[in-house]
Amino acid sequence: MLKNYEVFDHTADIGIRVKGKTLEELFKNSGLAIFEISTRKQFTKNKKHTQIIIKQKADSLKDLFINWLNELLSLSYAKGLIFHAIKIIKLENNSLEASCTASDILNYKVNTEIKAATYHQLKLEETKDGWLAEVILDV
Amino acid sequence: MSEILLEKIDDFRWRIPKSYKPGMRVPGIIYADEKLLKDIRQDKALEQVANVAFLPGIVNASLAMPDIHWGYGFPIGGVAATDIEEGGVVSPGGVGFDINCGVRILKTNLEYKDIKDKIRDLVYTLFSDVPSGVGSKGDIKVGTKEEKEILIKGAKWAVGKGYGTEDDLDCTEENGAIAGADPDVVSERAYERGKAQSGTLGSGNHFLEIQVIDQVYDRQVCDTLNLNLGQITVMIHSGSRGLGYQVCEDYSRNMVHCLTKYNINVPDRQLACAPVNSSEGKAYLGAMKCAANYAWANRQCLMHLTRKVFEKVLGSSWQELGLFLIYDVAHNIAKIEKYNINGKEKKLCVHRKGATRAFGPGNPELPDRYKKIGQPVIIPGDMGRNSYLLVGTQKATDETFGSCCHGAGRVKSRTAALRSINPDTLLKELESQGIIVKASGRATIVEEAPEAYKNVNDVVSVVHNAGIAKRVCRMRPLGVIKG
Repeated sequence: MLKNYEVFDHTADIGIRVKGKTLEELFKNSGLAIFEISTRKQFTKNKKHTQIIIKQKADSLKDLFINWLNELLSLSYAKGLIFHAIKIIKLENNSLEASCTASDILNYKVNTEIKAATYHQLKLEETKDGWLAEVILDV
Repeated sequence: MSEILLEKIDDFRWRIPKSYKPGMRVPGIIYADEKLLKDIRQDKALEQVANVAFLPGIVNASLAMPDIHWGYGFPIGGVAATDIEEGGVVSPGGVGFDINCGVRILKTNLEYKDIKDKIRDLVYTLFSDVPSGVGSKGDIKVGTKEEKEILIKGAKWAVGKGYGTEDDLDCTEENGAIAGADPDVVSERAYERGKAQSGTLGSGNHFLEIQVIDQVYDRQVCDTLNLNLGQITVMIHSGSRGLGYQVCEDYSRNMVHCLTKYNINVPDRQLACAPVNSSEGKAYLGAMKCAANYAWANRQCLMHLTRKVFEKVLGSSWQELGLFLIYDVAHNIAKIEKYNINGKEKKLCVHRKGATRAFGPGNPELPDRYKKIGQPVIIPGDMGRNSYLLVGTQKATDETFGSCCHGAGRVKSRTAALRSINPDTLLKELESQGIIVKASGRATIVEEAPEAYKNVNDVVSVVHNAGIAKRVCRMRPLGVIKG
């Protein structure tokens, strides 16, 4: 299967370009991409899966997108979890509800610590094939 | 590639005129020579220097040091001061996610010949005893109440716990605790992210390095500092870990609203800001200071662990080994400082985003021991070349709000490094140069490869020749621990 994201060059940090057929898919793919580029599943030290409902509201779609990614990163490091499955329950009027499944960070080799997603040169647009986002992550 | 037309001021300074972009309140000034300028033009850093010039209340110029490279919002290697009484703003993006990322250097009374057979032991023991890597947790465990104490007391908390001495505090910027930290404006999530990370190195470009002095430039200053050719030094580079990242995220999110509220026009949302005197500005500074203090406590704990490792491997107390702190500086911070602007004393908010404070001799902020020579300025390079110790100058106070560069500065992206460098070949090459490297991940080794950085010797040469800091001595790495 072709990846729905790619990494692009940025001198100090990492940029990702993500695609989705729908806006919901774009949010889901972007959320999963930040963990896929920074971690690799290596062990099964803890079989337990944790499900977290994330709710976010913002003034604009771009703000919502950045807040969403940062909430995932923040929860990941605060709780010691890596998210591996995401279901967007609702995405309308710049508000989002998603069900996110994670497992213990100890099951993963974490290669890069992503500090946050930034607004710098953020792109979020509808294309003829769906939706596209470009975001620079501080690492 | 940037095509911005630059005006040459002198051999080491270039100007982006105010007319470059409508909305710039001041010009941009870049410290660089022709050689470094070629690298600087490779990415979008110069555009970012121009963008910073939009900040309300910005004074004199949007400054860039020779290690400048493309960041997000501010360029890395950027300095901007805003006039608080004239509606000057503070921007979380002007400090960055890793608040008070900084570096400290210790001297020893050891020479290369004393430890040349023990470097591998030291590196491996440092790697096992000093927690490093993503999300690493330390042995220094604290509860929420004590975490709040760390946010106020900074390195003083660590010294109170027995992880160092009063002398260490005297040799730390702000004595290891900046006043005005307000733990009540730090979010629960930030506390949660900071928990159990005291005394951890972190990942990415953070490191712990054993070095040897291979060149002395200023004999007099070296004598004052008791430094000599062949002497071993130790450098520690780390920051505020998850707590700082969360503070920056919380307030960047909040300050996006301030752009409309205070009618602020900036070309990049990552430059979101609020007047220093607004409730939002004050809250951010209160939280930023907490993260800064956390970082000073962290580096103090890291130094304590380092001293313990030297004791363990070399069998003498750290005092006998002469592992004394020379200085500790922040290079991601906003500070309220006073400067003379056009004959008037002004209170400014100085953002140093990848820039080091470089106060000259006589500055009242300096401890007595450094009043004569100026503030020690620590410039780490990459793991294959050199690092430097410099001292600040009066010219830095006059020209750059007492600031200087902070490192070599990246020139190659992490992804490009990963594509083109083989970790095994690199490790072998470094080892053939007498450098032992131990890292949590192979990717880190490649991302931090010397060729991913500008040559620190070129960068330091510019700040020295421009007169904003003075070279004291140069070190080369012997053992490197990467997070």
